[in-house]
Amino acid sequence: MNGQPRAHSTVFRRAAIFVVVLLVQFAIIEAGLRLYSKSEGSTTFQSLFIDDPAVGHRLRPGTQIRYNTDEFTTDIAVNAQGVRDDDPIGPKAPNERRILVLGDSLVLSVQVPFAQTFCENLERRLNAKGGATRWRVINGGVQGYGPVQDWLFFDKIGAAFQPDVVLIVAFVGNDAIEAYDTAAALKAGRAVETEQPAIGRLREVVRASVTLQSVRLRWSQLKARFSTGTPERPLTSYLANPPPEVAAGLELTRDAFGRIVTRATGIGAKTGIVLFPARFQTDDPDFGRLAEIVRQFGDTLERNAASDRFRQALAPLGVPMIDLQPALAAQPNRIELFFQRNVHLTLRGHDVVGGVLFDFLETSGLTAPGR
Amino acid sequence: MVFTSLDFVLFFAVVYAVYRVLPHRPQNWFLLAASYYFYGSWDWRFLSLLLGSTVVDFFVGRYLGRETAQGKRRAALVLSLIFNLGMLGFFKYFEFFEESLAALGARVGWHFDPLTLDVILPIGISFYTFMTISYVIDVYRREIQPTSHLLDFALFVAYFPHLVAGPILRASLLLPQIERPRTISALQMRSGAWLIAWGCFQKMFVADNLAPLVDSVFGASASPGGADILVAAWAFAFQIYGDFAGYSNIARGVSRLMGIELNVNFLFPYFVVSPQAFWRNWHISLSTWLRDYLYIPLGGNRGGVWKTNRNLIITMALGGLWHGAAWTFVLWGLYQGAVLVAARAISARSEAVGLRIRGGLSASRIALGVLMFQVTCFGWLIFRAESFGQLARFTRLLFTDLRPTMATINSLLIPMLMVVVPLLIVHVYQARRESEEAPLQLPLLPRYALYGAVFWCVLLWGSFEGAQFIYFQF
Repeated sequence: MNGQPRAHSTVFRRAAIFVVVLLVQFAIIEAGLRLYSKSEGSTTFQSLFIDDPAVGHRLRPGTQIRYNTDEFTTDIAVNAQGVRDDDPIGPKAPNERRILVLGDSLVLSVQVPFAQTFCENLERRLNAKGGATRWRVINGGVQGYGPVQDWLFFDKIGAAFQPDVVLIVAFVGNDAIEAYDTAAALKAGRAVETEQPAIGRLREVVRASVTLQSVRLRWSQLKARFSTGTPERPLTSYLANPPPEVAAGLELTRDAFGRIVTRATGIGAKTGIVLFPARFQTDDPDFGRLAEIVRQFGDTLERNAASDRFRQALAPLGVPMIDLQPALAAQPNRIELFFQRNVHLTLRGHDVVGGVLFDFLETSGLTAPGR
Repeated sequence: MVFTSLDFVLFFAVVYAVYRVLPHRPQNWFLLAASYYFYGSWDWRFLSLLLGSTVVDFFVGRYLGRETAQGKRRAALVLSLIFNLGMLGFFKYFEFFEESLAALGARVGWHFDPLTLDVILPIGISFYTFMTISYVIDVYRREIQPTSHLLDFALFVAYFPHLVAGPILRASLLLPQIERPRTISALQMRSGAWLIAWGCFQKMFVADNLAPLVDSVFGASASPGGADILVAAWAFAFQIYGDFAGYSNIARGVSRLMGIELNVNFLFPYFVVSPQAFWRNWHISLSTWLRDYLYIPLGGNRGGVWKTNRNLIITMALGGLWHGAAWTFVLWGLYQGAVLVAARAISARSEAVGLRIRGGLSASRIALGVLMFQVTCFGWLIFRAESFGQLARFTRLLFTDLRPTMATINSLLIPMLMVVVPLLIVHVYQARRESEEAPLQLPLLPRYALYGAVFWCVLLWGSFEGAQFIYFQF
């Protein structure tokens, strides 16, 4: 008679024991990852950022960390103004001209020492021309930014740096999708919470745990495959048949960048746009691997489709624009331009991009005197 | 639709839910439809080959069952073999042999333009073709009775857990399970779930994490040293094992949840001390197939040392070619044949002088096991090499430049050990009990700790990109 309740209680008891085992293992893994993790979920790396009511998040002013991974070890300093730099940004000297580079992790470049970033490389090249003008290139890149955050950062923080030139670096891989996801912030003119408070609290808990951040990453990968029928959402910008979010995201990108252009013009600065390719656009084996994944989902991955779509979408802004893909693809041993796992620029990649941007600034007239 | 993809999880969830509520015959109809959908999800066009193979061999089997004239039976068998091997030969080897012939012709000054047919290799063709061949031969030998139900035979050929990468099942094992109603016990559910979890660990945690390490050495732009090549060969040994054994375990687990038992395909092949034992434990369904349908018909070990060695070399060379249309696979097969021949000679000499390896964990046994693993790994180097040129270069470096650099240790050896050591820890326990299901017998807490560890390893460090299984290309 009471065999079934007893069987149920055994099941519950065993389930409870299993949950306890999982929790103990979770605690051990969390402790281990906090001590030894080399991922971007590590507390060391996360300490670089603070929440910002206007922008969402930004670099924490005055932070210094050593970021260590299997591929690189970098000392990262954030100055008092909250941009990656060893020196503060003070009042502008009479002979000083400034270039503010906006963008995401590709601009921030935590993978290489500050002096080796393409921003610093560009600054050295500009100053090597000689003359009375001293150039300062300000690295305004922040991990995780998209076009809307670029605009908010420039509007709330970057414009105060008194730039003479604003270079917007658009990562064609995911900027359209990120703009689509943050459309509400563009409309509101500030960062907005688009989720329920409970979800917000859950997000805070997840952010506080290295382990849960990894789980979240897995969940995102699975969810992305469910929702769009492709393995990763950034790849949608390259599909022969992209979902409607891509076209909508491109329009929002044009809107956000247009606001930057208008604001920059208002403070007497010129604006240029740099289209930054994903690694697989220059790396044949990587492209083959991703093309095969996309093929399994019944679509076609077109290597430069995202670059082409960005160029067309942003052309109406009427500002000088350069696509880095042809220059990077023309390099010998181009597989060495990006880290293999991290997919950001290597030292050599930064050197190449620094040179390309120098030529672009010179030929486009962006560095010429006057408005 | 690979086993470790979300698509398959969804597919199986639906299939299983329906399967559990159906009675026996509708279960078979439903499983057949699901299997054709599963196969068609790669390329619907190749369903025609699967159907053709099924229909031809079903009727040949029926004919062989009722015909008594030996000449007619032999003719029917030959026709079936021509059909099956012709199909396999055309789709898998046509371009390979044509290009090889053109290259050979060019060397003697005879030029011709090969036909450009762009033949696509139908997935799983090597597996299901061997299954239908074994069925026809078994019926011909009167070792089994032919089935009289086309549905059952079609399900035997197309049953989705084994369809695209084996195990290569015998009709004597699978057909009776298809023909009779199935029951599913709680123990089957538990052990099936463990096999799936363990298979996911082997594939997603072990194989998929080792793949980038191996690719970084074998890639076209790499310039590795000898130590890098050695570590990459070790890593590839565990990558291909994790990949294929993982697939086999998931297939067995999925099938067991449906009450159908598939045969064990791998049994700790790197814990052996002889090449013969390796082939008794590695891809067991293929090695026993080659033994029963090729090696023994060739004469086996019945004609003295020379003929036995010849038969071994032929069997292993063809076994190598089965793996793919490339001369490196043929060379790998020849190497395995040569190793078997050498091992037989050494074994005979050792017995003659009274040398014996002690059982258990003796020092000599461990040393022999390590040596055997290195011999196996050199075979994997041949198997993985992109070309003969790369193989020659890597072999030279292995013997002339074996100094490890810091990059060898930090970028290859340590990442490899972090993946392989957890696998080996569990394997040692499983091997001592000679079963991958041994963890089910652990006391509650260690068992749950193992389940939890497998869960976290797959969730946090497993690959979720749904990477293809290496053996799909065979």
